[in-house]
Parts: sequence; structure tokens; C-alpha cells
Amino acid sequence: MADLKPILLVEDSPKDIELTLAALEQCQLANAVVIARDGAEALDFLHARGRFEGRPSGDPAVVLLDLKLPKVDGLEVLEHIKGDPSLRQTPVVMLTSSREEQDLVRSYSLGVNAFVVKPVGFEQFFEAIRDLGMFWAVLNEPPPRIFQKVVQ
Amino acid sequence: MPEITAALLDLAEDACAREPIRVPGAIQPHGALFVIDPATGRILQAAIGDETLAHLRPPDVQRLPDLLPPEFGHLFNNLPERLKSDLPVYLGHAGISPYHHHVHAHRSGDAWIVEFEAAHNDDGADFSAIYPNIREFIDALEGFVTIEQCTALTARHVRRIAKLDRVMVYRFDKDWNGEVVAEDRNERLPSYLGLRFPASDLPPQARELYRRNRLRLIVDANYKPALLEPELNPLTGEPVDLGFATLRSVSPVHLQYMRNMGTMASMSISLVVDGRLWGLVSCHNSSPVNVPYHVRTACDFIGQILSMQIDARETTRMAERRNGLRKIQTRLLASMAAADHFILGLIENASDLMALTNATGVAVVAAGSCTLRGVTPAEDDVMRIVAWLARSGCDVLHTHHLADQMPQADSFKNEASGLLAISISQIHESFVLWFRREVIHTVEWGGEPRKQPVMVDGAPKLNPRASFNSWQETVRLTSEPWHRAEIDAAADLRTAIVDIVLRKAEELAVLSERLMRTNKELEAFSYSVSHDLRAPFRHIVGYAQLLKKYEGEKLSDRGLRYLATIIESALSAGTLVDDLLSFSQIGRTALTPVTVDMNVLVREVIASLTVEQDAHKVDWRIEELTSIRADPVMIRLVMQNLIENALKFSRQREPAVIEIGCRKSPEEIQFSVGDNGVGFDMAYVGKLFGVFQRLHRVEEFEGTGIGLANVKRIVDRHGGRIWAESAPGEGATFFFTLPASCAA
Repeated sequence: MADLKPILLVEDSPKDIELTLAALEQCQLANAVVIARDGAEALDFLHARGRFEGRPSGDPAVVLLDLKLPKVDGLEVLEHIKGDPSLRQTPVVMLTSSREEQDLVRSYSLGVNAFVVKPVGFEQFFEAIRDLGMFWAVLNEPPPRIFQKVVQ
Repeated sequence: MPEITAALLDLAEDACAREPIRVPGAIQPHGALFVIDPATGRILQAAIGDETLAHLRPPDVQRLPDLLPPEFGHLFNNLPERLKSDLPVYLGHAGISPYHHHVHAHRSGDAWIVEFEAAHNDDGADFSAIYPNIREFIDALEGFVTIEQCTALTARHVRRIAKLDRVMVYRFDKDWNGEVVAEDRNERLPSYLGLRFPASDLPPQARELYRRNRLRLIVDANYKPALLEPELNPLTGEPVDLGFATLRSVSPVHLQYMRNMGTMASMSISLVVDGRLWGLVSCHNSSPVNVPYHVRTACDFIGQILSMQIDARETTRMAERRNGLRKIQTRLLASMAAADHFILGLIENASDLMALTNATGVAVVAAGSCTLRGVTPAEDDVMRIVAWLARSGCDVLHTHHLADQMPQADSFKNEASGLLAISISQIHESFVLWFRREVIHTVEWGGEPRKQPVMVDGAPKLNPRASFNSWQETVRLTSEPWHRAEIDAAADLRTAIVDIVLRKAEELAVLSERLMRTNKELEAFSYSVSHDLRAPFRHIVGYAQLLKKYEGEKLSDRGLRYLATIIESALSAGTLVDDLLSFSQIGRTALTPVTVDMNVLVREVIASLTVEQDAHKVDWRIEELTSIRADPVMIRLVMQNLIENALKFSRQREPAVIEIGCRKSPEEIQFSVGDNGVGFDMAYVGKLFGVFQRLHRVEEFEGTGIGLANVKRIVDRHGGRIWAESAPGEGATFFFTLPASCAA
């Protein structure tokens, strides 16, 4: 299982981190989950620098990217990933707090692979994370050009 | 005689108006008149009617001082000084044995005119009788209030002083028709009291002369005029202006008029009020008579006092009237200022609005709506008047004879023979219209108002009327005329309204700027709500569900129930936030209309809503639905909400019946969603489409109370209407329409 790529979770809220980890745990995914607390850390991980200097090589199976982040926000991270030929193939799932934000992201047309509007109910959130995680982390197939599942 | 047409009649009147009454070139023969060159004192022209002055005829007399014997030479002292103004001057009394003469002088252009008028020996004796009469007149006048009382008193006293057969006070209306408003007489002459005389009886140039020269006298209607010799002033080559001459000869037409009236002598005194010829004191005698100079002066004095009294009383009456109207106007302005829209303030206070102009009905036409109060024409007719007014382009229009001005206005004469209208907006066709009903009245004319012209040598010649028998005319299609004060009050109201409109427009501009700012703030606020308020609810639900999953077995039933309630409450709070956001989003998002097949849309919505439906049986009755052009996401939301509601409120029915229908008219497309569920009381229908309005308890039927508010917003944004019909226990049907422009 050593060849399983990690999941990169970019999220600043400790509560959301804990809940997301709980959801991923319930999916019984074997992938490691790397946590970045802001956009700058996420970029550090992707480029194996700073705190992540010397990490095992390879891109994450999927990036679960919150929109609103300190320092460098989710859209900037997304723009960076999709603008870098070496990172472009990495699937990115945007986590948004509302449909309002989803529209905002959509308007940037930055080539996001999926949206998840964080649902109020944990059960739905769990389902969403499971679907997305299973799809990219476990099956680990090349991602379709665009896959949208909006969980409300 | 050729047919008398109106055009011919006009021609005749025109000829009459041109008659040179100021330059007759002759005098009445009871005296003598001399035109004198002020520079040399030389006599330029002379007319000598009175044979007692025959010796004064040039060339016997060449210069001014020669006119009187030396002992009267002093009468001409200081003449240049005294004749500086245009007014005639009484020089004095000269006894040229065996006769006496009054001597007057006045200036006429560059010349002096000196007149000798035969006087009676007993002239002076009457003077003592005149003074008490004037005293009495003035004392009595003070006790009288109305102008009618004052004119009657004047007629009585003038006749007493002048000792003539009949004295009338004659008043002009605005078209210069005259009406006899007071009269004092003996049996020698008939009464003309109450009769009206047409404007043509007194041509314009006569009215102008009467305005300037207050007193005219005709001693004998059968007189033979004494001609001025030579005919023209040798210095100017022009005829001399005798407008102010006491002895002025009058037009033969006028003399004929007098003879027809049976009057041989006349005296008339002008009543000039505020610079306008208000009326005349018209005195007549059946036989020739020369009213002595000092008697005439006393009558003139009485006339002047009357004029001043009329002026004062009309001013007072006008002021009182204006004061009353101002009070009404103040109330109207207050109610306009207090109302949401000033138009409402006017309409709510319709009785004051009518009182402002003493109208019998009023219409307020503004912003496409027409409000009628009191007695008015039907709305269609009012709108026709408005269209006619709009074409006229007047700000303030008044008429008491609308049928005369507007075609077909006689069809609503009962409601609106009189119209007073103000335009209250330059942009929209907005007016306030006051109406007065038809008042049919009879006018008594002194003979037929139109003189009959006679053709002389193929040209029309105006003949003075022969008959003064009263001739009745019934006047229709007119209302009481609008008083000046009422017209002014309406114009003032217009100014006030225009001010209000301007002020409101400015306020509106400020408001709309503030609104735009608030809207921006609201957007920022809703964004932060969406992000920050939603997260805590998500966390509560998340942790509570995790607690239930991992620690649930350790909890008592009560603990589990508490946990379930926490989850449910946080979930519903989260849903509320989501719904609120969607509501604000619907108001802001741009519409993207595309062609929508409503049959497909409804099928999809029903499929999505009935996936998790339990055994609940629904009898769907769906008509063929038309395709439309609309924003597909939003229209889906409308149908989803309505069908969801229909399902929700009919779930206790077995079977539930839900009908979806569609109807098309030239104006709009109508959709309906009906159910046989619990329904609602129509008393609360006003609350149905408000945000957070619920007509059922939440335990009975779930929901945040925002769905129908969303639906209404969407329908509004598409330019449609929405409403509902229901009764408790009998189901509900929701209707919404889209404008015909939304037809696919």
C-alpha cells in the first residue's frame, strides 16, 4: 500500500479538519492525509519546500481545497496548480461554504475538478467525501476532464 | 336686401368701431369752442353754436384776450401753467350781458381749447341743495355692505341732484356686455333694470374715451351741430381732437340710438375701477335739458366716490375669498405632505379639493390612474378631456363653457359644463380637473343683442337698434363662471404640487443612492453570513452525529432524544440560512431566458420530488403545458416549490389529487397548481407570499416559510403575477402568470 498517494486537505478550521478526517476515516481509505492550514502551506507541500522539504516525492491523489483560507486563498492555490504543467493533472475538489461561493469559483473557470458545498448535515458530508475520496484516492484512475457533483 | 351673414355683421361693427368720435369736427350748439395757438394766443379754429356768442366769430376776434371783455381778462391768467396737464380746467363764470357763460379750457395736442357754455341765472341757487344731498349719500354709503346696495343708492342720489327722468347704473361684464344693475326713475321713461345690452352698443373707441373722460353730456338729441371753421387746424393740417371737450358733438348713430330710446338728453358718468371701465352712471331725460355745470360736477363726485367704494369692496371681497381659499389650501398641503404620495393626500381630502375652487366634482389623473370625486363625467370622458388638455399644452385652463372649446363636450354637460384644470407634471399626462355642472339661465337683453345691419349702396351700415323691448335668451351649456380668486387658488396649488414633485424627486435621488449603498453592504453581509454563520451549524451537526455514532450506546433514551433534538435544530437553522441566501440570490442574479418545455420541466420536478415518497398515493392530473421563454433555473424553482407545497399539504389525503394546468390569453400565459389538501383561510392570503410567513404550525408541516416568497420574487422578476385561492380543508390552487412576451 506504500504506493498509495496521500490526500492533501487544505483547511484552516480545526473543527472542519476533525470532521473531514472523521469522514475520511469512515470511508476506510488507506491513503495518508496531509493537512495544510493555509494556501501557502499547501503550495509548500506541492513543491516539497519549507516544512515539507524532503517529503517523499509524488503528487497527492486529490487536493481537498477550502475556498477561504488565510495568506493565500483557495482560488489562488487552484490557479497555481492549474497553471503549473507539472501539477495540472492533480485533481482538485473545491470545498465551499455555500452555493454563493460555488458560483464565485465557477466564474473563475479555473478547471476545478469538482465542487462540494459543505453540507450542514454530517451524514451528507460524509457521503460526499466518501464518493470523492473513493473516486480519486482508491480507484486512482486518471481523472475525467470535469466531474461535478454538488451535494446540497 | 342681401342675406345678412355673420361676416357682414362683423363688417358693420368694424365700421362702427372706426367712427371718428374724437374728431367729429363739430360741437353741440349750446356754446362756443375755440382752438388757440398757445405760442401766439391766436385763434386757429372756432365753432359757434350759441348765437349769443356770434360776435366772437373770427375775423372779428383774432386772439385769446379778445374773447372776453376786459373785466374778465383775469380768467385767462396763468393759463400756460394751468393747462400743463391734460385735464380740463374750469376757468370761471363770465357774464356777457345779457347772458352768462361757464368758461372751460384744456389742452389738446399742441393746441389749447377754450369752451363757453351757456349758463342759467339760477345755477348758483341750487348749490345749497346739492351739498346736503352729497352728505346724505356719503353717510348712507357707509352703512351699506354690498355693491348692489351702493349702486342703488348712487342712482337715487344722482337723480335727486340732477333732476332727470331716469338714472341707471350700468355694469360691464368681461366681454363688455352691459347690465343695468340699479335704476331710479319716474314714469316718463321705461325701466331697463336687469336688462343686458350687448358690447356692440358701446364700441371700443367709445369705451376708451369714456375711461379717460369721465363725463359726457348731450343736451338735445335733435341738435344741429355747429361746425369747426376751418375744418382742419391750419398749423398741423389735422382735425383737432375734441375727446375732452364738454361740447363735443357725438356720432349721428348715437343720436339715433337716443331718439329710438325716447330720450332727448343724456349725461353719463364713467365708473373707473382699478384703471378699467367698470360701468357707467347713465342718466336720461325725455325732454332736452342742460344739466348745469356744478350739478354735473357733483354727480361726477358721487360717481368717483362710488368707484372708490366698489374698488374697496371688491378688494375686500377678493381678500376674504382668497383668505378662505388659502386656509383650504393650507389643509390640502398638509395632507399632501403627510401622505405617502402627495396624490393620495389630495384624493383623501377631496371635499377640500373641491372647495378650493367651489367645484361640484374633481378628477385627479396621475401616473396612469384616474380618481373621481363628486359629480364628474365618466372616466372615459375624463380621459378624453385629459387628452384634449395635453394637446392644448396649457398649465392652467379655465372655461365655463367647455362645449364651446372641446368637441363633443356637450355629452357630459350635466357634470362638466365648466372646467378648471391644472397640469401637474411636465413629463406624464397628469392633471387635476375641477368640474362645474351646467346652469341653465335666462338673460334678458334690451332688444335683440345683434343689431340688424342695413345695406346702403351695397355696403352694410349699422343702424342703431329700434327696439328696446326685453328679449329673452336661454343660455345653455355653461356653468357658473370661475372666479379670479378660484383660478388663482388652482394655479397656486399647481405651483405647490410642482414644488413637492421636485422635492420628492430630489429626495428620491438621495434615497436611491443610499439604497444602492445599502444593497452593496447587504451583498457583503449575505456573503459573510453564508460563510461564517453556516459553519457553526455545520460543526454542531457534525459533532453531534459523531457523538451519536461513537458514544450513542452509552446514552440513555432521554440523552439520545436530546442529541436528536440538537441535530434537528442545528440542521433546520442551517437550512434557514441556505434558504435566506437563495432568496437574496434570486433578487440579484441576472435572468437568462431560454425556451423551456414546461411538460418536461414538470415531469422532472415530479420525479425528483417523488423519489423518496412513501406509499402516499397521488393522482396527478396534468394538462398539456405550453412552452415558455424564461430563466430555466428559476422557473424550475417556482414549479418545484408549488408542487412540493401541493404534495406537502395534501399528504393526509387518500388519494391526493394534484392538478397542473395552463391557460393562454392574448395578454398572458397562466399556470396553475392545485391540490385537495388542507388549504388555508383566505383571510391570511396577504401573508402568503411574505418572507418567513407560515400559515401552519411547524409540527404539522415543515418548512422555513421562504419558498413562496422565492416563487413570488421569481414571478415578479419575469413581469408576471401570482395569487392563490383556497378554503380551509378544501385544498388550494396557486396561479401564476407570465406576460405574453414570455411565449415561446
